[in-house]
Amino acid sequence: MKLNRSRLQQAGGYTLTELLVSAGISCILLAAAVTASISLQKSFNAIDNFFSSEMQQIRLVDYMTRDVKRGFSVVTSTDLHTVTITVPKYIIEAGDAEAIANPALIGTPRAPSISRGINGMQVNYGTGTSTIAYSINGTTVARTQDGGVTNVSTSASQLLPTTTDVQLANTEFSKTVVTFLPTFSSSNAAVLRASTATHSTAYLRNKRRGG
Amino acid sequence: MGAILVISIIAGNVLFNCLTRYTVVSNQVRSWKNAIYAAEAGGDIAYAEVRKTLADPANAWTGWDVSGSVHSRGGISIGSNGGLTSSTVDRFYYDAAGNPWYLIRARGTAPVYGLKRTGMDDRMNKSTKGDSLLRKIDFNYDHFIAAYGPKGDGVGKSLVAVAQPQITRRLELVAAPITPFEAAVKAIDSFYGPGSAGLIDSYDSSKGPYSFVADDPSDPRYVDSHSGGVAVNSADFTQLNGPIYGSVSTNGGTVVPSSKIAGTIDNNVPFSVPPCTMPDFGFPKASPTKVVSSTTITPSLAGTAAAPNYYLLTSFTDALTIQPFGTSDTYVAIHVTGDIAGNKASITVKPKVFAKIYFDGNIDLKARDIDNQSGIASHLQFYGVSPTDPAQTQSIDIAPPGDFAATFYAPSADFHMNGNPDVTGAIVCKTFYGNGNTSLHYDRALATEGTPIDYRVASYVEDLR
Repeated sequence: MKLNRSRLQQAGGYTLTELLVSAGISCILLAAAVTASISLQKSFNAIDNFFSSEMQQIRLVDYMTRDVKRGFSVVTSTDLHTVTITVPKYIIEAGDAEAIANPALIGTPRAPSISRGINGMQVNYGTGTSTIAYSINGTTVARTQDGGVTNVSTSASQLLPTTTDVQLANTEFSKTVVTFLPTFSSSNAAVLRASTATHSTAYLRNKRRGG
Repeated sequence: MGAILVISIIAGNVLFNCLTRYTVVSNQVRSWKNAIYAAEAGGDIAYAEVRKTLADPANAWTGWDVSGSVHSRGGISIGSNGGLTSSTVDRFYYDAAGNPWYLIRARGTAPVYGLKRTGMDDRMNKSTKGDSLLRKIDFNYDHFIAAYGPKGDGVGKSLVAVAQPQITRRLELVAAPITPFEAAVKAIDSFYGPGSAGLIDSYDSSKGPYSFVADDPSDPRYVDSHSGGVAVNSADFTQLNGPIYGSVSTNGGTVVPSSKIAGTIDNNVPFSVPPCTMPDFGFPKASPTKVVSSTTITPSLAGTAAAPNYYLLTSFTDALTIQPFGTSDTYVAIHVTGDIAGNKASITVKPKVFAKIYFDGNIDLKARDIDNQSGIASHLQFYGVSPTDPAQTQSIDIAPPGDFAATFYAPSADFHMNGNPDVTGAIVCKTFYGNGNTSLHYDRALATEGTPIDYRVASYVEDLR
């Protein structure tokens, strides 16, 4: 009889105290896990936002560098935030005289012609040129070519390009600095913005014309 | 343990997402840039070959395929990341002087490593297209051939699979000949002038005779009056009080903007001037062989720019007159193995005559003794054959009185002009000195004159399709 009673005593559950202690510990661990998850999620958002802004920054610089290299001239506004580049019209587009005469030529390249300009012998693609302008509109940096607008970047992190151009005897170069203000910032905004700067120097590969 | 596991999984997922997206984009950006580097390398390779047509014609186009006027070369590896470049060169244009211009088309391809996915900026809507509009990646098929054909002219469109994701960028360059007379004065070592009563400006002889209009914007010839440029391949540039209606460039100089320089200033423009060598015109005419008394040359045929009437003179101390062949444009080349100097020495070039005077020694003349009666500088060109000893210097001394129209290409010569000569033309020399009332009027029509000395890339266009 004594043996049966001791077996019954050994088959018992947790005590209330044990339950309360384990629940408390579990809560603490769960709180830590939730807190860590929230922090990691915030970190992910911050990193994601930072990378996104950085990629838009790089994209803007690459767009401008590509256009400056093939340009004839670069003009920067007084506030350094608007850049106007004149480029050759290499591809025949709808509405061009050649396209009106022969629609099959749309989308094909023009043949170069040679003439003497103010700055000496020059290569021409058609009779006109194309104008590209980079400008800021709120948080958007837009590229406008002959009236057609492409939003190069729409960063909520206040992408800010500044460009200066220097004219030389035959060419010209533009120096662009693009910064952004990270969404997750905790201290001096100016310092944070400066720390995200990307610098670019692009030379006109064509002999500068006019301007 | 469970909590640690959960946290580890979350952290790992965050890291994975961040790195994956960043790696994808950085790979694509790198490949996009590598593609243009490869294309530009291909353009440089072709450009170097074009320059060889002047510098080393015997070895130009070695290893290139030829079809008519088009040379091509492909499959050149660039860099260590699998980049490839190819280029074609087409001799597509001849200028008024018969010098060829070349059209270079270069293509650079860079593989895109990593996952096959578009850029990180996937906030795609009708106005924000992310990287896709800028960086055209061929993940499975070559989009350019499919849409525009292999040559981009709409012919031969087909679906061509690519072995691995890649980016291809295309350039079109134009290589233009550099002729000797692209500026009013090109001096290798130093420039001194113009004097207080002198000036340097420009005009265009194809539009009429010279007239000073550099200070009159309302004159239709004004657009041609501000090309009187001066280029010095050193820091030794001294401008006196005479204005320069053109650009000034030096190599390390300290020229600053002033009211006496109407064009742009660049103190970082090095350039090279190849030595002047005597062309091979074959056997000279039997006579004359000297000009020691008043001499007249009347060729028995008109000749051409490439095959002129050729005379070899061992002495030049008296008057020489060159007549045309009838009423035809007549081409004459004269090689003087000594000096062109002496109290009686003079050169008279009649209209319709195109004369090139090559001299091994020095020139010492009065301006009035250079009589180019057409008034067009390209009709009388002086070439100072560079001495074999580079330390040896030639001299060209032009004294008053008188004016003349001519060009001088003498990279080994000290050019000295004083008094009040008005010179129409262009000068390439070792050192330039022009004091007093000396003026130089650059003729813009000279931009295509003379034998090309090099090539430059005159146009750069990227095919963005």
